[in-house]
Amino acid sequence: MPAVIVENLEKEFRRFRRREGLAGAFKDLFQRDYEVLRAVDGVSFSIERGERIGYIGPNGAGKSTTIKMLTGILTPSGGRIESLGLSPHKQRKQYVRRIGVVFGQRTQLWWDLAVVESFKLLLQIYEVEKRAGEARLAKLRELLALDEFLHIPVRKLSLGQRMRADLAASLLHGPELLFLDEPTIGLDLVAKDAIRALLKRVNDEFGTTILLTTHDLRDIEALAERVMVIDGGKIVWDGRLEALRDEAGEEATAEIELLEPAALPELQRLLPQVRFEQENPLHLRARFSKRAIPAAELLSRLVGALQVADIALPEPSIEEVIRRIYEKAGKSAMVAAQKQGVAR
Amino acid sequence: MRALKIYAALFAQMLKVRLAYRGDFLADLFATALGGLSSLFFVLLFFVPVDSLAGWKRDEVLLIAGLSSMSYGLFATVSWNLFEFGDRYIIEGRFDRVLLRPISTFAQILCDQFRIPVLAETVIGAGVVATAMHRLGIGFGALEWLFVAVTVACGALLYVFVFTILASVSFHFEDRVGVAPPVFNVIPFGRWPQEIFPWPIRTLLRWVIPFGFVAYYPSTALLGRGSLKGMAALSPLVTLAFGVLAALCWRLGVRKYESTGS
Repeated sequence: MPAVIVENLEKEFRRFRRREGLAGAFKDLFQRDYEVLRAVDGVSFSIERGERIGYIGPNGAGKSTTIKMLTGILTPSGGRIESLGLSPHKQRKQYVRRIGVVFGQRTQLWWDLAVVESFKLLLQIYEVEKRAGEARLAKLRELLALDEFLHIPVRKLSLGQRMRADLAASLLHGPELLFLDEPTIGLDLVAKDAIRALLKRVNDEFGTTILLTTHDLRDIEALAERVMVIDGGKIVWDGRLEALRDEAGEEATAEIELLEPAALPELQRLLPQVRFEQENPLHLRARFSKRAIPAAELLSRLVGALQVADIALPEPSIEEVIRRIYEKAGKSAMVAAQKQGVAR
Repeated sequence: MRALKIYAALFAQMLKVRLAYRGDFLADLFATALGGLSSLFFVLLFFVPVDSLAGWKRDEVLLIAGLSSMSYGLFATVSWNLFEFGDRYIIEGRFDRVLLRPISTFAQILCDQFRIPVLAETVIGAGVVATAMHRLGIGFGALEWLFVAVTVACGALLYVFVFTILASVSFHFEDRVGVAPPVFNVIPFGRWPQEIFPWPIRTLLRWVIPFGFVAYYPSTALLGRGSLKGMAALSPLVTLAFGVLAALCWRLGVRKYESTGS
């Protein structure tokens, strides 16, 4: 049985739309316009125990709203969530005991307490059995190198230290499910690596199921086995990371520097299976599928037809594929936004 | 019981934090002591030219003021977060964190930030009450002690419940200031014999914002005066009723928060 089942999940926000100016503010007192915003619009998925999932999407796509519903902070407007056999918002106290949550933007710790005091308090709040709690804390201290700032108040930590402390705090009670909303935001490369390594280890050793959102695709490449892409409140892609990689590998780009300007229409006629973009008269970009034309063949035909100064074949990245997914989804999201009426 | 232990631990930690800010602590202590003493002097000053106020002697009025101070000091230890609730928790979004912990949201708010120096007001109030009782010839038997203790506890809880109801309004309307300040300004009215007020204020203090039950009605009972001394018996019931109302308002608010947010 899956750890998490989500069916047709929806979340609508009613947002008060202010009129402009003083006269408008006065009018607002008596008559208010609300717009309905569908932050999450019919999302379905299920998560197996032990999975590591990257949940990505552009800003405002509905990532955080989904996480807030999965953690029981928000009540869905529609649809169903069953997580660890519980309803997150209806069985809040019972449920949050078994999950860990990290918000990259905001600490879960007490600002004025020393890190170790925060941990002790959390162990009490979660009623962790004393010996188990101490063992877990010792392990986390070692894994996250917490000792250097264990006795410093949280407000005095650097961002990287704070994130490590937050991560430790979310794991103290041995959660079965771990939700992370942008856990690497604003961190330097070393700190990012430390966090990725820890998450992977936690997943390996304890089988903790992990769902994280991020804008850093290296997080995804280092951590996720499965990727879900949300845009405009809908899941637009859901699959294994390898599938994304394959897609990325198939779709390739060649950057071509020319000695003489090329006649684009003619070139397009010569190679119809390639999409050419002209950056400037002396710089072309060719997008092609390796299935339609092997790179070697493309190169030899380009060299035959053009005065080529240089050709580069940049490493295909999942970034490119995701950019394309966003673009495709962006169009449909715009149509959906137009359909949304203004309710009063 | 287990829950109580957790809250006690939370409370102890937060207390430690407050003590760590020594300057803050001392400033707060000084301000509270000064405030408590000056309101006491105000009552004394008032009685320099006159003997009695609407039939109340100086020491009798001091008894009301002292009881009111004792309750207020206890309430003020936890009032901070109730006053700032809309701002700190709703607008700045700290309530998310509160919902992620497996204990009562209300208990977390009360424990999260509190002041210990304000207890100076309770101490001063106790001194005033003891002096007034002594001078008025009221005995110090077990019954009187119990009566004062119950009165002070009920009064403090009544304040907590009233301001909890007002704080839970913040769940529904995003507003930094909230609706508490005007009601906060009603508290001093409960320090005086209600006979001196016109009827609308008397009605307000009895039935709407019942701060008359904090010190005034209990004092009439302690002094055995007037037709209103029976009202003192209502004091715990009024507190209980407001407790139930506060719990309902809070729950309703939390449910509202869970379904909006941003």
